[in-house]
Amino acid sequence: MKPGLRILAFLFLLIAAFTTIGKAKTRIHIWHQMLYENRKALREMCDRYEAEHPDIEISLLYRETEELRSNYQSSAMGGSGPELIYGPSDQVGPFSTMGIIKPLDDVFEPEFFKGFVDNAVVRYKGKIWMIGDVMGNHLMLLYNKKLVKSPPENTDQMIRIGQALTKDLNGDGKIDQYGLVWNFTEPFFFVPWVGGFGSWLITDDGRPNLNTQAMVNAFTFIKSLRDDYKIIPRESDYEIANAMFKTGAAGMIINGDWSLGDYEGVVDFGITRIPKVSATGLWPTPMVSTKGYSINVNVTGELLDKCADLIRYLTSDEVQYYYASKLNMQPSSIAALKSPVVTENEELRESAKSIEVGRPMPVQPEMRAIWDALRTQYQAVLGGDKTPEEAARLSQLNAEKQIRDMNDILKPGPSVIFIKWIFPLLLVILLGFYRKQIVLFFRDFRQQKFAYYMLLPAVIGIFSVVIFPFLYNILLSLSNFSLRTFQNWQIVGFQHYWEVVTEARFYGILLKTIIWTVVNIVFHVTLGVLLAVLINRTLPAKKTLRTLLIIPWALPQYITALTWRGMFNQEYGSINLILTKFFHLTPIQWLSQPFEAFSACIITNIWLGFPFMMVIALGGLQSIPQELYEAARVDGASRFQQFRKITLPMLKPVMIPAIVLGIVWTFNNINVVWLVSNAGEPSDQTHILVSYVYKAAFNLYRYGYGAALSMVIFLILLVFGIFFMKKTKATGTVL
Amino acid sequence: MKNKKIETWGIFLLLTMFTLLTIYPAIRIISVSLRTDNAFQTKSLAFLERGEAFKDENGNGVWDQGEPFEDNNHNGRRDAGSGFKSYIELFTKTDFLRWAWNSFFVTFMVTLTGVVLASTSGYALSRFQFRGKQLTMLSLLTTQMFPATMLLLPFFILLSKLGLINSYLGLIIIYSSTALPFCIWQMKGYYDTIPASLEESARLDGCSQFGAFYRIILPLSSPALVITALFSFMASWNEYVVANIILQDPDLYTLPLGLKSFQASLSTQWGLYSAGAVIVSIPVTILFISLAKYLVSGLTMGSVKG
Repeated sequence: MKPGLRILAFLFLLIAAFTTIGKAKTRIHIWHQMLYENRKALREMCDRYEAEHPDIEISLLYRETEELRSNYQSSAMGGSGPELIYGPSDQVGPFSTMGIIKPLDDVFEPEFFKGFVDNAVVRYKGKIWMIGDVMGNHLMLLYNKKLVKSPPENTDQMIRIGQALTKDLNGDGKIDQYGLVWNFTEPFFFVPWVGGFGSWLITDDGRPNLNTQAMVNAFTFIKSLRDDYKIIPRESDYEIANAMFKTGAAGMIINGDWSLGDYEGVVDFGITRIPKVSATGLWPTPMVSTKGYSINVNVTGELLDKCADLIRYLTSDEVQYYYASKLNMQPSSIAALKSPVVTENEELRESAKSIEVGRPMPVQPEMRAIWDALRTQYQAVLGGDKTPEEAARLSQLNAEKQIRDMNDILKPGPSVIFIKWIFPLLLVILLGFYRKQIVLFFRDFRQQKFAYYMLLPAVIGIFSVVIFPFLYNILLSLSNFSLRTFQNWQIVGFQHYWEVVTEARFYGILLKTIIWTVVNIVFHVTLGVLLAVLINRTLPAKKTLRTLLIIPWALPQYITALTWRGMFNQEYGSINLILTKFFHLTPIQWLSQPFEAFSACIITNIWLGFPFMMVIALGGLQSIPQELYEAARVDGASRFQQFRKITLPMLKPVMIPAIVLGIVWTFNNINVVWLVSNAGEPSDQTHILVSYVYKAAFNLYRYGYGAALSMVIFLILLVFGIFFMKKTKATGTVL
Repeated sequence: MKNKKIETWGIFLLLTMFTLLTIYPAIRIISVSLRTDNAFQTKSLAFLERGEAFKDENGNGVWDQGEPFEDNNHNGRRDAGSGFKSYIELFTKTDFLRWAWNSFFVTFMVTLTGVVLASTSGYALSRFQFRGKQLTMLSLLTTQMFPATMLLLPFFILLSKLGLINSYLGLIIIYSSTALPFCIWQMKGYYDTIPASLEESARLDGCSQFGAFYRIILPLSSPALVITALFSFMASWNEYVVANIILQDPDLYTLPLGLKSFQASLSTQWGLYSAGAVIVSIPVTILFISLAKYLVSGLTMGSVKG
């Protein structure tokens, strides 16, 4: 054996040895979406289990709810993924429809399920899919005891207390303290009122039920709280509401049981039900859901038994007592609910009262479409674009349409034959046509070895990464891959493309995307070049300024975008504070009007993007020989002439790649729009094409449609790219 | 001369004002990271908050529900005041240092790959006429055109087939290949501004093809190399979406993944999250400061007569 081979063999043995040692312990992975404090408690519980079962090792992975879902979907589809997945009950609908979790009926004996309250055993289509360890996730009314002496029992009292609390404390004409705040623009935080007005958003057999008088009344009620009684701020999202309640700027807040721990030690607060609706005499119905464990469909045999045993432990009374006493979580086991740990805990007792009037969170996958349709129309009512009646009618219509789209299984059309036969044929013809070119390429290769050797490593690397996903996407775009065909999709033809180009909405969003791109790039480049030219001269504190100016680039985008969102808040955002204080302008409703919200996204992105262009321009300026300027000065050229005749043309070759790629990136920049407008708010009117793709693909599980739409985006940019290359070749950037 | 001085100070003032506007959101983030009550938004423009005294009836050192306190500003709650609590927690109670180390490793590899491969390929594209050149340039551009979110599923499938899930190799390859197209284009653009006569004379003096590139052209291209390095660095340092699907083992987390784990829908550890973000931006700033002097060299030695 050669020494190299011997080393290899040794390494191989070593690895093999390690893997066998690893096999002695069974590793069970749990993916969960628990809150920060709860994660520590879960880890502690798992440590206890590991101590008792030395053959088991539990690995925990946290992901935010939506990411948990999409990550789990892709891994389970690829035949891997964690053994156990923990999350809210509404993931059962999609996961079981996709066939990526196991029914639990055969894993546990029927007696086991009887130990839990009914809602904690999550059933869908006649089978059990999840077993919960906590109940709740429900909304309640929390009040600041210093400001609210006795909590309201009905909405009339709530309005009265609210009006007494809503005041301008320092006499500057701006309200400093509100009666009530909450994340009222989000449907989840709105639907309790629908129940309070006497109906519910989904029928028992899973159909949307949005066009009801109760819905109209609930819309009108929220609007009147804001516009007539003025006890809630005009704009408020979750974080603003949260901060206002924490800082005593609001007397009451509607928030979920998850938030209690966060307020402890910050506000002296009390808990009560959301007040009864005076007009109907009914209690609002917060959604109550369980969170619990499901088993990956790929788990079988001995491992399945081990997982089942772990679930038994993690949902046992022992663990539930711990959660109840440490985290104030409502247990799901009937025995645990009766124990003094729970009955003597004041917070749990009060919060249980809200659960009594609540309604279970629907688990059907169709809920996605209902939420989405409701969100759009509800926000249109709040923005004043639609009457409550119209909105109720439209939300029903849209929900029905989206459900149809979501559940639709496309059948292969006639174009499949074309794709199957003519595509490959076309490819062969093309190859034949370009044969000469290819031969010439190989001849050229031998002559220009140096150039090719310099180039090829990068090119091969890039394309080996990109080519498979790209082809895969073409395949997806021609397929019926969606919620119902998750495991067995097939090629169906060009239907999705047809749908994309015949939809009127597509052109509106395309136009918006183009405006978005042009405005952003113009500002990025002008600001960048201007700043670079200004800062490139002799200046005091030049280095400091230069460094400070790249800070927008240096900070992680996912936090700066959220900061900007906060700064755009109508009443408390710094931007409006500055506008009103120093310029005496009326505050702008940045986030609840479509045009303003879109402008807010653009402003944020301009801020994020100019430092990059500035750095590129700074680099480019160094390549301009000073002699050129000297000569120009001798010839008596003005400063502006020098800039136009020397600086700009000389910057061009360096700036052009940045500009072209800047255009492509901006066109496809999803982060800023998504974070600043909170996924397209208000009413999905701030979307650019990519965010729209993302929403279509991941919100309604229409992967095929999403893939087709992204192919269209790609083709648009490709046309732009080719046009651009032709153009620059004509002007000759190659020396 | 006097005119010139006024102009300089005018520009200085203008730039200072613009800079202040620019760093304002960053200051907000710092302010959030110093808060002790885990709130992200605030209704005031104040940077710091004054703490209020309280009576510690059970002597546990923190204010508990129901303990009396001084409410100096009458807002109905005890203001906890600003402090370094989040920073201390970040370093002592989380795996921040491990994430930082992981991130440094990945980012270093990506930056190295980026600089080496972009400088060579850019050179080939700038100096040589060969078949497929325009096509290469265009297809480099096209790799950036596809909406990245739709590529995630196929990426995942590809990498899990190759066994590159939970491996830095997969991450480094993807990061490099996403950063390279821009870097190559940008290096090529810069090389284009350097007259070819320089290498020709070097070749006449007996330099090899590679030697002419390495000894003559590369040192002159430092501004472009700096940009390439900075860009590759940024492409991996703050990248979240791809890392999110590839790294499924908390021990392998990079900084963005670690920081995002402080975020949960409707319940985020804002103090930790923003403290982390502030610290994450420090290496970028240091890198920029240390590279900035190369950004302003290159052809300034007057070696070139165009």
